[in-house]
Amino acid sequence: MCGDATNWDENAYRERILKEREIPTLTVFRTVWAPSPNPSPDTVVVASSDGSIASYSISSCISKLPLGFSNANAQQVEPTAFLQGHEGPAYDVKFYGEAEDALLLSCGDDGRIRGWKWKEFTQLEAPISLKGIHIQPVLDLMNPQHKGPWGALSPIPENNAIAVDKQEGCIFSAVGDSCAYCWDVETSKIKMVFKGHLDYLHCIVARNSTNQIITGSEDGTARIWDCKSGKCVQVIDSEKDKKLKRSSFVSCVALDASESWLAFSNGQNLSVWNLPASECVTRASIRASIQDVIFEDNQVLAVGAEPLLSRFDINGAIVSQIPCAPQSAFSVSIHPSGVIAVGGYGALVDIISQFGSHYCTFRCKCV
Amino acid sequence: MEDGEIVEGVAMEEDAQLTTQPKNGKSPYEMLREGKVSVEEIVAQILTIKKENKPKSELRELVTQIFLHFVTLRQANRSILLEEDRVKAETERAKAPVDFTTLQLHNLMYEKSHYVKAIKACKDFKSKYPDIELVPEEEFFRDAPENIKGPVLSDDTSHNLMLKRLNYELHQRKELCKLHEKLEQRKKSLLETIANRKKFLSSLPSHLKSLKKASLPVQNQLGVLHTKKLKQQNSAELLPPPLYVIYTQFLAQKEAFGEHIDLEIVGSLKDAQAFARQQANKDTGISSTVESSRLEDDAPDEEDDGQRRRKRPKRVPSKESLDHVGVLQVHPLKIILHVYDDEVSDPKSAKLITLKFEYLFKLNIVCVGVEGSHEGPENNILCNLFPDDTGVELPHQHLAGIDFLPEIAPLLSGHETANSEATKNEVIVSGLSLYRQQNRVQTVVQRIRSRKRAQLALVEQLDSLVKLKWPCLNCENVPWALHTPLCNLNGWSPAGPPPNQTSSVPVIDTDQVQEPMDADVDRRSRTSKEESESAREDGELPSLVASIVNDVKLTPSKISNLEHSRQLALISKSIISPINKTKSLSFKKHDEDSDMLLDIDSDLDELAPLELEAENEACHKIVENPWVDYGVKEYSLVLTRRNIKLEAKIKISMEYPLRPPLFAVSLSSSGENHVESDGSEWCNELRAMEAEVNLFMLRMLPLDQENYILSHQVGYLAMLFDYLMDDASPCEKRSTSVVDVGMCKPVSGRLLARSFRGRDRRKMISWKDTECTSGYPY
Repeated sequence: MCGDATNWDENAYRERILKEREIPTLTVFRTVWAPSPNPSPDTVVVASSDGSIASYSISSCISKLPLGFSNANAQQVEPTAFLQGHEGPAYDVKFYGEAEDALLLSCGDDGRIRGWKWKEFTQLEAPISLKGIHIQPVLDLMNPQHKGPWGALSPIPENNAIAVDKQEGCIFSAVGDSCAYCWDVETSKIKMVFKGHLDYLHCIVARNSTNQIITGSEDGTARIWDCKSGKCVQVIDSEKDKKLKRSSFVSCVALDASESWLAFSNGQNLSVWNLPASECVTRASIRASIQDVIFEDNQVLAVGAEPLLSRFDINGAIVSQIPCAPQSAFSVSIHPSGVIAVGGYGALVDIISQFGSHYCTFRCKCV
Repeated sequence: MEDGEIVEGVAMEEDAQLTTQPKNGKSPYEMLREGKVSVEEIVAQILTIKKENKPKSELRELVTQIFLHFVTLRQANRSILLEEDRVKAETERAKAPVDFTTLQLHNLMYEKSHYVKAIKACKDFKSKYPDIELVPEEEFFRDAPENIKGPVLSDDTSHNLMLKRLNYELHQRKELCKLHEKLEQRKKSLLETIANRKKFLSSLPSHLKSLKKASLPVQNQLGVLHTKKLKQQNSAELLPPPLYVIYTQFLAQKEAFGEHIDLEIVGSLKDAQAFARQQANKDTGISSTVESSRLEDDAPDEEDDGQRRRKRPKRVPSKESLDHVGVLQVHPLKIILHVYDDEVSDPKSAKLITLKFEYLFKLNIVCVGVEGSHEGPENNILCNLFPDDTGVELPHQHLAGIDFLPEIAPLLSGHETANSEATKNEVIVSGLSLYRQQNRVQTVVQRIRSRKRAQLALVEQLDSLVKLKWPCLNCENVPWALHTPLCNLNGWSPAGPPPNQTSSVPVIDTDQVQEPMDADVDRRSRTSKEESESAREDGELPSLVASIVNDVKLTPSKISNLEHSRQLALISKSIISPINKTKSLSFKKHDEDSDMLLDIDSDLDELAPLELEAENEACHKIVENPWVDYGVKEYSLVLTRRNIKLEAKIKISMEYPLRPPLFAVSLSSSGENHVESDGSEWCNELRAMEAEVNLFMLRMLPLDQENYILSHQVGYLAMLFDYLMDDASPCEKRSTSVVDVGMCKPVSGRLLARSFRGRDRRKMISWKDTECTSGYPY
């Protein structure tokens, strides 16, 4: 727009300013590496707070963007595929199945879990403006509403996280009504409800080897559930003895590859448990509250409400802290090759190499 | 005659013959034939006798006989002749009536041909009426009076009709003639009255003059300034073309649409006249010199632009250095534009802003500034009136969209090839209709007006904030308006502006334009505006504070040809460049080569290795969109509650409220029993508050509250802060169960109340009738 009264449209200009402001307020809630036969990282799928699910090609990002770290003015890049998955924020995406036949599952604030065929999604050539309305989800699960007095219905609780068990064919969801649900993929019915948490669930992880799930909740506990019986096996309440000035909550849980180590956050603290021994092995903490953890071999990667990616060894010592772009990171995910994607506030996704250098930082496209 | 005598004699003989004839009983022809036969016989006998030599005696006999026969032959001959004469006479007698009859016939024939001719002439006779334009038959039947239509004038129907129509025509024409006469008469009388009135009119001016003279004091008393208007029009004629265009455009807008604006031309008329005369004299001289310089330039003109561009700088600076002082000379006439508030009932009472247009004729530039304001360019209300229009650089072609029409030749170099002129005009004509639909003048005035109104509202809000009072909100239907803040408004101070804002701009010698200002005047003008005053209250005022009202909006007139405008750009650049140099820290002046580092307050400051990178990036960002931050004012707002301090850095741009203030909040707690914390654990909450204040609440705000956005934002921020603090203290979980009193059965079901939702733990605040509470369902 040039600076004069020619074709001046004040409302359009006002809208444009607000639109510009929208982008920095967008949050990336989950970055997931797409399965691909290619050993090098290829595509990252991003779920963000405008409800969009988009995939970005790392190679094209690297070639287009300046190498290295950029914070304030990371450039927006065009997604390779884009769809408006949810009303309200999309909190989690997971892949269900292998490579070509994989389903892309997403869940969000609207209480839905939706599944799209990954192949269809990647072949989506349609422009972003279509918001993916032309591709139908193959799976669409909606959380039940709670009944109040005189038939009043509670608001639809949100899905904060999902976990999958391909062998059993079920999806586990961490839901805002303090319950975890187990959905059957074939029948799209709820197979099991895990009740017991006192507040809403932040995170969930499936321990397929023992047919258990582990959930983390706003009430400050993590619980291990048996999927068969739906009973709580163990309540891990590491902060019981401590007095915290702020409410502590378990916002993330992670299992290592052998599924015998469990890491979860509790506010600013990180605990690592040995599951076979049922024992807390390590406690560590960072300055900000931790919002996502993952295992990488023997180390734990954690991100939180600060622009840092922290790497702990199994003893809880900080190995390294790498600055990352988002002021508050909600997601860290690792590719088998060791490349890390960190997503968070400001619609920023930071791609960090296995050696800790920044490949590129980009801003997601908003609807 | 002889014949006649002979005929007579013969006739007499014939009569005798006739008498003898019946005696013989033989016709003379028979007698003639018989005689001849007998003669031939006798001759034959004689011949035989002669041959046989018979005696001559016989001959005698025969001769007598022959003579006898001869006599009869003669007699027969005579009677034949007589007969012939008789017949002839008889024929002659019969011929006379024949001749007479023939004569008669001839006469008749002649007579006939005469008649035929006459008939033909009659038949060929062309009547006049085909040439007469008669009224059509239908019309005739419709309109003609009965006395013309009625009588039968001829037994031929068509002829009858024609006659009637002719009659009607005649009738009509006669009527018209009469009418014509009447009109003529009237005309005459009217002419007479006109002459009379003319006489009166010619005598009127002197009357009026005296009346005008007499009315002057009354006019002044009543504020009706007809005389002034007239004077304005006179002086408008002396305006330089660009100013004239501005003047007419605004005046047209005012008069056609009743825009609440007022125009005034100030300056000495005499000077203007002198200037015009001087210009006229100069024009001839200049055009010839331009011509010559043009001539030598012609060859490179055809070549590529790049070459020319490189050539220019060599020439211009020398030329420019010559008259560096005179280059900023101002045309003696200026336009003053008063913009009035159009939402107030008495528009004249609410003057919003006064603009001054000046014309630097050497540069062919129109400058506009706010009258009576000597603010630095960053504080000028006109900057960024439209996106990317800081007013620092030379705009091209139009003044905020008000075009200078191409017909007006610039004073200094109205030199264009006819060719380009023609093509230009075509473009103009096509563009003109579009241009008329865009209401540019109206838009500009409206923008200025809303800008000023917003600024006034902003000043009011800032006033109240400076006094540490919550700015009042007079809008009931937004949740934060009902909330009484529990936190304290602890501080409101202008944040240190970026280095470039310190306005250490050197004074540019602007000759007679700028009355020399001493620091006192400057100070006073500054104190008039609280916002800027508070910004510089504590700091010592730089004594060299600039007063460049001029460079707010520099507008070369559109028409100046390519060469000229390029020259112009170069000149102006060289003028501005000293400012650039002195403001070495100013990153707003982004020349291509400006790669200075700047110190932005980055959250990453602690990350030493990244600092350089971040700075580079920041630099990059600013170059991307430098105008947005131009003239931006920064404030810092401090809210406290229970030892916890919320600091908001607020950036208010010149485009307020179109571009709403931008908040950046941070939290710190300072307490005796708590460890000092920088609030990093609140990161998500703070970001959510920022998003809410900067973006989402704006969509809830009714448009008529637009000018009070800042108050709303502050109010909302206070409310969010309150709830943040409330929830910091752990509260027990609530759930709603209901007892239906009087029923034996309990009502089943309960709803769990939550105050957070989602992975980012967004707070939920319920907005009830009179207040808000945290959580939902409450």
